[in-house]
Amino acid sequence: MKLRDSEIYRYAGFKGNTPDRETVAKTEELKKEATSAVTPLFISREADFVCPDGNTVVIDGVKFRSQKLSKLLSRADKVLLFAATLGVESDRILRKYSVSDSSKYVLAQAVLTEMIENCCDSVLGELLKKYQKSGYSFLPRYSPGYGDLPLEYQREFFSLMDITKRIGVTLNGDCLMTPSKSVTAFIGITREALDCPVPCELCDKTDCQFRRN
Amino acid sequence: MSFKDRIGKEILFFDGAMGTVLQKNGMGAGELPEIWNFSHENLIYETHKSYIDAGADIISTNTFGANSLKLDGTGYSVAEVVTKAVEIAKRASRESGREVFTALDTGPTGKLLEPYGELSFEEAYSLYKEQVIAGEKAGADLVLIETMGDLYEIKAAVLAAKENSHLPVAVSMIFNEKGQLLTGADIKTAVFTVEALGADAIGLNCGLGPVQMKDYAREMLKYASLPVFVNPNAGLPEVVNGVTCYNVGASEFAESMRGIALLGASAVGGCCGTTPEHIKMTVDKCRDIKISEPVKKNYTAVTSYSETVIIGEKPVIIGERINPTGKKRLKEALKAGDLDYIAGEAVKQTDRGSDILDVNIGLPEIDEVSMLTSAVRKVQSVVNVPLQIDSSDPEALEKALRIYNGKPLINSVNGKEESMSAVFPLAKKYGGVTVCLTLDENGIPDSSEGRIKIAEKIIKRAEEYGIDRKDLIVDTLALTVSTGSENANITLDALDYIRNKLGVNTVLGVSNISFGLPSRESVNAAFFTMALQRGLSAGIVNPLSESMMGAYYSFNALTGLDRNCEDYIKNVTSAPVKETVSEEISLKHAVIKGMGAAAEKCADRLLNDGRDPIDVINSEIIPALDEVGLGFENGTVFLPQLLMSADAAKSAFEVIKRKLPSDGGKQSKGRVIMATVKGDIHDIGKNIVKVLLENYGFDVLDLGKDVAPEKVLEAVRENGIKLVGLSALMTTTVVHMKETIELLHRECPDVKITVGGAVLTQDYADSIGADFYSRDAMGTVRYAEKFFEGNA
Repeated sequence: MKLRDSEIYRYAGFKGNTPDRETVAKTEELKKEATSAVTPLFISREADFVCPDGNTVVIDGVKFRSQKLSKLLSRADKVLLFAATLGVESDRILRKYSVSDSSKYVLAQAVLTEMIENCCDSVLGELLKKYQKSGYSFLPRYSPGYGDLPLEYQREFFSLMDITKRIGVTLNGDCLMTPSKSVTAFIGITREALDCPVPCELCDKTDCQFRRN
Repeated sequence: MSFKDRIGKEILFFDGAMGTVLQKNGMGAGELPEIWNFSHENLIYETHKSYIDAGADIISTNTFGANSLKLDGTGYSVAEVVTKAVEIAKRASRESGREVFTALDTGPTGKLLEPYGELSFEEAYSLYKEQVIAGEKAGADLVLIETMGDLYEIKAAVLAAKENSHLPVAVSMIFNEKGQLLTGADIKTAVFTVEALGADAIGLNCGLGPVQMKDYAREMLKYASLPVFVNPNAGLPEVVNGVTCYNVGASEFAESMRGIALLGASAVGGCCGTTPEHIKMTVDKCRDIKISEPVKKNYTAVTSYSETVIIGEKPVIIGERINPTGKKRLKEALKAGDLDYIAGEAVKQTDRGSDILDVNIGLPEIDEVSMLTSAVRKVQSVVNVPLQIDSSDPEALEKALRIYNGKPLINSVNGKEESMSAVFPLAKKYGGVTVCLTLDENGIPDSSEGRIKIAEKIIKRAEEYGIDRKDLIVDTLALTVSTGSENANITLDALDYIRNKLGVNTVLGVSNISFGLPSRESVNAAFFTMALQRGLSAGIVNPLSESMMGAYYSFNALTGLDRNCEDYIKNVTSAPVKETVSEEISLKHAVIKGMGAAAEKCADRLLNDGRDPIDVINSEIIPALDEVGLGFENGTVFLPQLLMSADAAKSAFEVIKRKLPSDGGKQSKGRVIMATVKGDIHDIGKNIVKVLLENYGFDVLDLGKDVAPEKVLEAVRENGIKLVGLSALMTTTVVHMKETIELLHRECPDVKITVGGAVLTQDYADSIGADFYSRDAMGTVRYAEKFFEGNA
C-alpha cells in the first residue's frame, strides 16, 4: 500500500506547507509501523434498490430517507454496499502514542486516516475494474452521516451485511463505529459516462478543514 | 456416556448450518433466527432431525444470538428462547430414536469489548451467564461457544459457562484469510489462551471453506492438547443477485472433511451453507476413521490478546520497570492514580525489546486490589505483549487475573503451604504460567540442594492441583553477592539443575545480585550472561539498560539463537538517537525545536549550574512555549510541531520537578476538567488540549471519553472545579454536549464551560450555551489563562 504523504500532512494540519525534517522522520516511522501492524479488512455486496419518492432509498426492504442519496443514486442501476476497517490494532497504536508521544499521536491519526481512505480506494479500484468490463462505472462514495443522511442510518446499513461478524466493526449507542478507523459507504453503479466526480464538490460543508481546493 | 467421555476417543460429527437453512426458508435481512423457535417451530425441529438422521452426534440449538442485547425489544426473554430451543432439539433427538448431544449454542455478543469497544468484561460475562443457566436447566449436554473472533469475549463466555454450570465447554473460532481472529490473535495464541481457560474442546468454524480451513486445522493440531473439531462453511460466500451462496457441494465437502479428519481432528461438521446432505456424506466418508487421542503438547506459553511468547526456546526479556520499589516517580504516579505514566513506561519498555512486562503496583498507601486491575487494563490497551501480574495479595491477583486479556505470567507462588493453597487454585481457574520462588516457611535455603528441594515440592503440589510443570517457571532467587561470595553460584547451580534435569523453565530477577555494590550494571550484565549460559529461560531486567540488553543480544548472537546477528545489529542501530547537545544550545531553543532529550539535558545543566528551578521555567520554558504557540496561531507552526515542543517541555519539567522541594514549588495556574462528551469516542482534540494546558502550568483532570453529564457534574463538585472543557466530534454527540452544559449551568452556575470539536462553530457553541468556543487547542489555553487571571 502506497500511502500519500500529501494527504497525511493535510490531515495533520499542514495546510499545504512543507513539514520539517523531524515530522517527516516520525511520519516515515509511523507509516512503517502501521503497514506492518495493521490488517485492513473489508466487505461488500451488490444490491438492487428502489427510490419510490425521490426522498427515500429502499434496499432489501430497508429504508434510507435522504434526498441527496436518492439524487445521487438516481443515476445508478445498482448499489454497492461497502464497509472497511483497520481493526483494533490501529486503535491500539493511537492509544500507545496518546500516552507516549503527542506529536506522533497526531501524525498517527493522519497516517491511519490516509490508510483507511487508501484501502477503500484501492479495494474499490479493483472492484471497479471488474465492473468496467461490463461497461459500468462507480459514483462517489456516500455514507451515513453525510449531508442529509443521518448517522443513525448506520443501524439500517449494518442490517444489510454481516459487518460485525465478517470484519468486526460494531456500533455504539450513538451509532459511532469501533474500531475508530472504519468506513461504510453506498456506491452507485452506473452505466453513465462520468467526468470523474470529486466527492468534496458534492458536499455542502464548504468550511470543512479537510476540503480540497 | 457424556460428551467429555467420547470426544477425542472416537470420531464425532457436528451438525451443519441452521441460519442459512432458515434464510432459504424465507427469513429476511435483520430478522432474528432465534424468534423462529416460536414462529417456525416445526422447521427448526425438522432441521435438527434431518441432521440427526444424517449421522450427527452433536446438534446445536438455534440460540446463536439469544442474548439479552439482541433479544431486547422482541418480547422474549433469554430464558424463554433458550428453554424453547433446547426443548426442540432434545425432542428431535428423542424422537429420532438416536440419542445425540444437545449443544447450547452461543455466539458473539455483537459488541466489541473494552478497551477498544464499549462493552465491559463483566457485562459480557453476564450476557453469557444468563444463557448458560437457562441452557443447563433446560437440559443441554454441553455449551458450544462458536464463531468467536475475540479472545476476551471467549474468556467471558468460558468463565460464565464454568462458573454457572457443570456442562462441558467447547470453543470454536472464526479466523480470516490471514489466519487471524478479528482482534488479531493467530491460531497458536488462540489455542494457548483457550486451553488455559479450561475448555474441553477447541475448534474452527465459519469464515472459510473446507479447503482453506485444512491448513488452519493442521496449525491448530500442532499446538492443541485438547480434542480439535472443525466445522467449515460450504466454501467461501458469494453473493449472486443479492443472495449469499455457498458453492461447495456435499460430496466435495465430504472429501475435504475426510482429509481434515485424517490430520487428527476429533470431530467434524459444517457451518454456513452446509446441509444435512453435506453432513450425511461427511459421516459416510469419515465413519471408519480410527482417531488417535490428542497428544499433550509441552509449550510453556503466555499470551496477550494477540501475541504469544513461548518460554524455553530463545531466552525472554521481562521488563521490570513497572514496580514502585526504589522508583520515586512511579510511586508519585501511583498515588495520584496517573495511569498514563504507567502506560508510558510500558510503551518505552516494549520499544526497547521487552517480550513480557511485569506489572507490580504494591504500595502501602494505595488500594492494590482496584489499582492492579486498572493498571493491567491500561497497559493492555497500549501494548500487545503479554504481562506478568505481580502481587503478593491473593485478592488483587485474582481480580487482575480475571480481567487480564490472554494467558499471563503469574508472579508468584512460593514453597509455603499458605502461598500454594492461595495461588494454585487461581492459576488453575484462570490459566497462566506461574513463577515459583524457591523459598518456604524456613526462608531461602543457602544451598542449591535446598532450593531444588523446594522447587520439587512446588512442582509436585502444582500437579495435585492439575497444573502441569510446563505451566511453571522456577525462580532460584538471586541474592546479592556483596553479602555472600557463594550467592551467585548457589543460584546458578540450582537453576541449571531445574532447567536441565527437571526440565522446568527458569526465571530470575537478575539485578538483585548486585545490591550494595558500586557500578551495579557491570555486575548485573555479567551475571545475566552467566545465568543465560546455565539455562535461564527468562530474565526480569531493565530493558532500558544498555548493558543488560547488550549482554542479552550478544548471548543470543554467540549461541546461534540470532541468525546473521540480525537482532543484535537492530538493537545497536535502533537505540534511541542521542541528540548531540552542543554547549551553545539553550533550553529555550531545545523546546522550540521539539528536542526532548536535549531539553532534558539543558534543564539538568542549568540546575547543576545553580539556576533557580522556577527561574528556569519562567525564563526558558514558558517563553519557548509562547513562541511556538504564537507561531501556531499565525500559521507558521503546525500541530505536530506544536506538540513536539510540548513534549520537550514536559521532559524538561520532569527534570525540574525532581529538583523542586517536595511541596511542589511549581504553582498550578488552576484546575481544569477535560472530557469528551457522552456517546463520543473521538478524543484526539481533548487529548491535544490536555497536553497543552498541562504545559502551560494548569492541572488537568481528564475524565476521558464517552463521559455522561452526571459524571462531569460529580467531578466538578468533588474537586471544586470552576472551568470545564468539553469536546465532541460528531453532530450526533453535540446533543450530549448541550445536555452537559445545561446540567452544569443549572447545578453550578459559577462554572464556565469551553467547548471545541470538528463540527462546532461559534454560532453552534452559542446556541448550546457554551461560555467559550475555541477553534483550536491554543485558543483554549489562552481562554484558561484569561479565566484564571479573572479576565474571562
